[in-house]
Amino acid sequence: MANKNEKKTPTQQQYDKLNQKHELKRPVLKNCLRAFFVGGLICTIGQAITYFFIYFFNFTEQTAGNPTVATMVFLAMLLTGFGVYDHLGQYGGAGSAVPVSGFGNAVISAAIEHRTEGFVLGVGGNMFKLAGSVILFGVFAAFVVALIKTILIQWGGL
Amino acid sequence: MKAVICLLAAVILAGCNLQEERKDSRLALMKTTNPEPIQIEKDGVSVEKIRGEVEEVKEIYDAAVVKGDHNILVAYKVRHLDRFRMKKIEKNLQDRLEKEYSKETFIVSSDYKIFLEAVRLREDIDAGKVNDKEADKRLHRIIKLKQELT
Repeated sequence: MANKNEKKTPTQQQYDKLNQKHELKRPVLKNCLRAFFVGGLICTIGQAITYFFIYFFNFTEQTAGNPTVATMVFLAMLLTGFGVYDHLGQYGGAGSAVPVSGFGNAVISAAIEHRTEGFVLGVGGNMFKLAGSVILFGVFAAFVVALIKTILIQWGGL
Repeated sequence: MKAVICLLAAVILAGCNLQEERKDSRLALMKTTNPEPIQIEKDGVSVEKIRGEVEEVKEIYDAAVVKGDHNILVAYKVRHLDRFRMKKIEKNLQDRLEKEYSKETFIVSSDYKIFLEAVRLREDIDAGKVNDKEADKRLHRIIKLKQELT
């Protein structure tokens, strides 16, 4: 940092000081609280949907996970299409992106963005532009964890 | 926006209107129910005794026991922070029951659905809706549900 300042002219240093003085601070705590509540709300809705599947259908706690994830992704896709999820994302930040509903949002927002380029090369080609990395690293992480678990069970005597 | 929120609320609250005659099962997943154990097959070990054995486990706070022709179903709820050790608790309980009552076959489950179905079966028996034969059939269906993984 000191070296950087040495290279700068006095005018530049003065400008940096002025910039620092007027720079808006990032409201980290406020953002964290918002993310916590929005993420918590999404997860509460997810839990309610899980209970709904357990109560009214023949799903057990173990098997209700799949339809719940599908429902949450579908709802997020609808909300993205209606333009509601954007507001939620702006307010909640990571709280709306980290739960599985963020995946639905990533798919549909990319599709909407590229719809003017046509259905095949536009929507089809770019739909998984954002979500593709989620799938790739999700599958890879699952593979690594499964590998570690298998090794521990087979040879670790767990 | 309002329409979407209303739709979501309708889906989530849909359960409040249905099945009004079932009182315990409606809140069985949220509060302690402690349903009376069911003894479809009258011979052999008493279900009360099994339930007492299950309740001795400190991590468990709610248990439903159903004794059928061939199997005994034990469904239970685990205290919240102990749910991290769910598999170990299940294994320990299974071993403990099999050691104590070596002649019986136990199906042990901490799944909410299995517990809920056991409570519903208890309520239907109390209401006189099912006889012993039908109750045993229902028990088999619950056990089958437990074995489903996908």
